[in-house]
Amino acid sequence: MPDPKSRPASDRSLELDPSVQSLTEAMERRWSEASLPRRQREKLARERAKIQARKPQRATYDLPPVLRQRLKQLSDSLRVPASQLAALALLRFFQDLDSGALDLGKFKTPSRSPRYDWNLELPELYQFSERSRKTRARDS
Amino acid sequence: MQTAVKIIAFANQKGGVGKTTSAVTLAHALAARGKRALLVDLDPQGHVALALGLPRQPSLYRLVVESAPLSEVAVRARPNLEIIAGDKSTEQVKRAVTLSDFRESILADLLRRSPYDVVLLDLAPSLDVLHINGLTAADFVVIPTRLDALAIDGVQELLKTMAEVARRGHAFLGYAVLPTFFERTTRETFLQIQAVGKAFGRRVWPPIPQDTRVREAPALGKTLLEYHPDCTAMRGYPENGRRVGGYWQALDRLEEVLHA
Repeated sequence: MPDPKSRPASDRSLELDPSVQSLTEAMERRWSEASLPRRQREKLARERAKIQARKPQRATYDLPPVLRQRLKQLSDSLRVPASQLAALALLRFFQDLDSGALDLGKFKTPSRSPRYDWNLELPELYQFSERSRKTRARDS
Repeated sequence: MQTAVKIIAFANQKGGVGKTTSAVTLAHALAARGKRALLVDLDPQGHVALALGLPRQPSLYRLVVESAPLSEVAVRARPNLEIIAGDKSTEQVKRAVTLSDFRESILADLLRRSPYDVVLLDLAPSLDVLHINGLTAADFVVIPTRLDALAIDGVQELLKTMAEVARRGHAFLGYAVLPTFFERTTRETFLQIQAVGKAFGRRVWPPIPQDTRVREAPALGKTLLEYHPDCTAMRGYPENGRRVGGYWQALDRLEEVLHA
């Protein structure tokens, strides 16, 4: 039985169990916050509550960089939050989908993933929207 | 048919650290997950039987001193879970073992041939021949400990005893320190868990939170799984959307040991 004190620091067994690590970190955070002035403690508590309240609104999706860039440019030029633009775009998408104005079948290709049956051919979708944007810009 | 039984000892030379509660809870949880489990009470207090709502019995005495077959003395406590109960006659077992030849391996010889997937040993907080027998039989040792200086001294003392047993040729698969009665709001607990983590690293399992239900369950002869499977001691603390610590997580760690 090895004496724990004699083990080298690089010994893998000296790493903490991930759950123990997370618990000690949380305790450490609480203890360091406890020593802060009251105002700062209250500010941290408010920030934590804000982050907590925003959790149901947060989602992570993979987007083609070109779409992300476009969203950012639009957000910068209109000076509105990108999240709200994305929400508006999704709302319009669902309206089109529900009214039958948009047929996803045109973009579907079979997927080899065990998780999904289909993929959507996004580049074509994007080119289509790019073309229509340019057409609209030319017409106006 | 002989099976590859794994023997897990719950030991700490300090008393009142949650050895019996941990052994009973984890034995019942393993049984509930389909493992054929035997829990052996090596403590003359006989609390294993009481914690499971059964009377104290001289089962260990009958097994070791009267050489009764294991199948005859093992009592069914729950589905898949049998126990070898103890009572004050366990003191006589110690005397009988002291006078025997091959006295340190008596328990190992009896249990290695048992038809279970896992045998859990609840050791008494003493350093006697039965304690050494338990360690000599064990593949793996779980060391429940409160996070206070005296209990942690008990861990160090037990490790010295294990080192002595290992020097006599017994190979342990390993050991784990299981912090019990964990109170995450006290500074002392924080300092002690840091110190224990520094000394034992990954061998420190996620802690069992302090929970009144741990005290209430044995009074009703119920295990925590029956009394309150969702209590903090079972499920741990909520932390970043996950649960940390508790007996369910200790069970996961124990199953990793069993499958190693």
